[in-house]
Amino acid sequence: MTPDLSWIFLSPLLGLILVALVPPERTCLIRRISAVATLVPFVLSVWAYAAYDHAAGGFQFVQSVPWVLPLGISYHLGIDGINSLLIVLLGAVSFTAVLISSSIKERIKEYYILLLITILGTYGAFLSLDIFFFYFFHEVAAVPVFLMIAIWGSEKREYAAMKLTLYLAAGAAVALVGLLALYLASGVQTFDLVALQAQLARHPIPIGVQNWIFPLIVVGFGITLTLWPFYTWAPVGYGEAPTAVSMLHAGVLKKLGAYAIIRFAIQLMPQAAHVWMPFIAALAVANIIHCGLVALTQRDLKYLLGYSSCSHMGYILLGLACFNTMGINGVVYLMFAHGIMAALAFALTGFVETQTKTRDLDEWGGITKYMPFVGTCFIMAALASAGVPGFANFVAEILVLLGAWDQYRWYTVWAVFGLVITAIYLMKAIRLGFQGPPRPQFASLTDARTTVDKLPYALLLALLILTGCLPTVILSHIQTSTRVIVESMR
Amino acid sequence: MFPVINWNLVSLEVLMSIILVGLTVLDIVLPKNTQKDWLGLLSFIALLGLIAFWLTQGALRGVTFSGMFVMDPLAWFFKAFFLVVMVFIFAMTREFFKSLGERRNEFYLLLWLALIGMCLIASSADFLMLFISIEVLTISLYVMTAYLKTDKLSIEAGMKYLILGSLAAGFFLYGISFLYGAAHSTHFGVIEYFCRTHAMSSMTLFALVLIFAAVSFKAAAVPFNLWVADVYQGAPTPVTALLSVGSKAAGFVVLMRLFFFVFNAWHPQWSLVLAILSAITMTYGNLIAMFQTNIKRLLGYSSVAHAGYLLMGLAAGTALGAAGINYYLLGYLFTNLAAFMVIVVFSMAAGSDAIADYAGLSRRSGILALGLLLALVSLAGIPPLAGFFGKFILLMAVIKSGYVWLALIAAANIVVSFYYYLMVARRVYVDPPAADAAPVVVAQGLRLLLIFAMAGIIAIGIFQGPFFNAALTAIK
Repeated sequence: MTPDLSWIFLSPLLGLILVALVPPERTCLIRRISAVATLVPFVLSVWAYAAYDHAAGGFQFVQSVPWVLPLGISYHLGIDGINSLLIVLLGAVSFTAVLISSSIKERIKEYYILLLITILGTYGAFLSLDIFFFYFFHEVAAVPVFLMIAIWGSEKREYAAMKLTLYLAAGAAVALVGLLALYLASGVQTFDLVALQAQLARHPIPIGVQNWIFPLIVVGFGITLTLWPFYTWAPVGYGEAPTAVSMLHAGVLKKLGAYAIIRFAIQLMPQAAHVWMPFIAALAVANIIHCGLVALTQRDLKYLLGYSSCSHMGYILLGLACFNTMGINGVVYLMFAHGIMAALAFALTGFVETQTKTRDLDEWGGITKYMPFVGTCFIMAALASAGVPGFANFVAEILVLLGAWDQYRWYTVWAVFGLVITAIYLMKAIRLGFQGPPRPQFASLTDARTTVDKLPYALLLALLILTGCLPTVILSHIQTSTRVIVESMR
Repeated sequence: MFPVINWNLVSLEVLMSIILVGLTVLDIVLPKNTQKDWLGLLSFIALLGLIAFWLTQGALRGVTFSGMFVMDPLAWFFKAFFLVVMVFIFAMTREFFKSLGERRNEFYLLLWLALIGMCLIASSADFLMLFISIEVLTISLYVMTAYLKTDKLSIEAGMKYLILGSLAAGFFLYGISFLYGAAHSTHFGVIEYFCRTHAMSSMTLFALVLIFAAVSFKAAAVPFNLWVADVYQGAPTPVTALLSVGSKAAGFVVLMRLFFFVFNAWHPQWSLVLAILSAITMTYGNLIAMFQTNIKRLLGYSSVAHAGYLLMGLAAGTALGAAGINYYLLGYLFTNLAAFMVIVVFSMAAGSDAIADYAGLSRRSGILALGLLLALVSLAGIPPLAGFFGKFILLMAVIKSGYVWLALIAAANIVVSFYYYLMVARRVYVDPPAADAAPVVVAQGLRLLLIFAMAGIIAIGIFQGPFFNAALTAIK
């Protein structure tokens, strides 16, 4: 028996239809349905991940139905070593995001419907092996995210929602032009990724054409990935969004950008990649250093995490520019590790914020004294983010840096320096907000006490440590697919 | 020898004329003081019957009336389109004119006349025939636009529409006369032959420009788009809906027939001009739409922007571009009519079209808010809704024809349009309702129709295959 990939994104759909049918007062039922609707795809994703056959490689559990024949669009799902890992990431983050949403008290029904649409679209994008459907699903999340930030966000929510949406829309529109040009230039009337890979490996697009399509796709999706200097939407967006949206967006949705760049730009147009990626590597260093330095100045923890997240995307971009197995492995690993870490950090911040009504680190003081579990979890997340061995991020960042060393020696030095900056601002955050002098007015706050309260944080933390200590669980898995990409670039 | 008229081909128009005459008689015969809306009801039933009839006539092909009237897949597609549009318009009219009493009966007759005009436009194969059909449509629209005799805005709208419409008609005739001078005929087939055998001269270019300008009046494209905002705002909302969907589609069926068939041989000469006009039209519409505070004006400028997107298909000049136009209009039908249905219901309840008054609509009526949200998101071109795939095909078509710059301008425009559509969505879903705002009640019939339109928006957005095939067959 093999996992049916369609059910991975159909179960949130089913869940949201059920939620829509439930009267709005039945909040408990709505929350339960949503939890089940995200737990099922999580379990299915883990199952698919475990059932994936490394030895065979390639795309597995494939389903294909022709959708618009004259244009070569098909409903085509399948997983390889890369997206099978990313759906596990999404599974973990979306399930925990639904669990921690119990802090939402207003307009609950609408909230869960929008959240489930976002999750559904993201699953669809990761699973699609058809460029059209990738784009289609990737855009489905746009309006729900806008509404969720604008309705349930904090102070500057409307500005943040509009800024985030317009930036992402601009990126998506530019990328769409690039993808259409790629489709037309390929000479085979198909959006099917597998068919395009086969065709373009034999008959590459002329380099002159590649050279203008490539930047459209990379910059377009780069905006989703907070490519410097198009990152300004992210800190404000994550800062003002409700916690679940910050988790999903910083953890998973922005990774769609990196995923698209690997799949559609680098793999399908390797010649142009060699021309353009060195420039992207320079921007990546700007990401690491500039966003890191800005993070140093932040006192609002969510903004700090937002800038930190932009800074870490620099490592992903740097790894993408490496063209070797180690670098690309590092990128995929980091997408996973950073996703879990960011989701955990935002979830914990949200937990504290709901009770203290502030995100200002100076006011938090020594929150760990009153919330030992949450405080400790945050410190561990911060250690993971700073690249301390034992957590997944360490493995991922080392891989990226080793991959980059041969080609971009100076950039790598700067990137290592970026790790130092990361360590500084995170230690500062811990000192100010978690281990400073305890504030008496917070003495009555409650920690995460019950198992249900602790579950989301424990789950994410366990994943970080597990994959940090046993890197082969992931590496042996993604290698089967990254090798193919690196070979196509030679 | 007398020309033989194939009455089968004109069966739809004949039936509609019979219905029109019948309803006129009925209007005279019926007692004046009756409260029951007999004409509206009968019109509605007749329309549904006509749609059922028309769906069985898909294979109708041929030419009649000495070649002036053509029945081909394109004409069939657009006549079906106009019939569906009218179903919505009649429903909206019944709601909108509840207070108007007997004067609404004449309005129904005018709507039928406009429908006949649109159907004849879709079948015209001769410039004279085309001119007359356009005038049938336009004159009934003049009257309907100024129908609210006591409303200053309505009168002003009618006046503006009349003046600019007459100017456009003048341009059109002037253009035809030049074309006649060159080709010695007004018949599409003859002119098409002339275009294939002759290079474009300055005289024919002049004619082409005049004709395009005149038709752009119907399509609401630059340069004849200045009437749009005022007329959209002032006209009774069902008329605005008809202008924005029916009249626009009629403009595009003419443009498609002219530029894909009649002037096709000159494609290299005019394609760049259309590409530039397309870019100007969409940019103009979107930039000005950003600053609107009245929802009908906003949709007016948005309608100009959409004319710009649609012109991309013409500029591409390929079958893909034409299929894109058809698909886009199909999605636009459900999308825009859903929006206007919400506007009609809301303005009847709240007595206002100001966007600010839409604050908190989601808590006053869930279905109206959802209908408006789906319409706006679909207009913005976000999947999984109808507007997305239309834009997708049109972008593909222009890139395929080598206009990457136009695709990039369109992409930038799409982002701009996000802004103002989402601003309205924000009002509806985010802002709290005014303190004295009561729930808005939606009549059962309109509610069903609104759900039908929403289902259409979603279905056309997700199951692109069958609709794309229909759009493709229409241009074969």
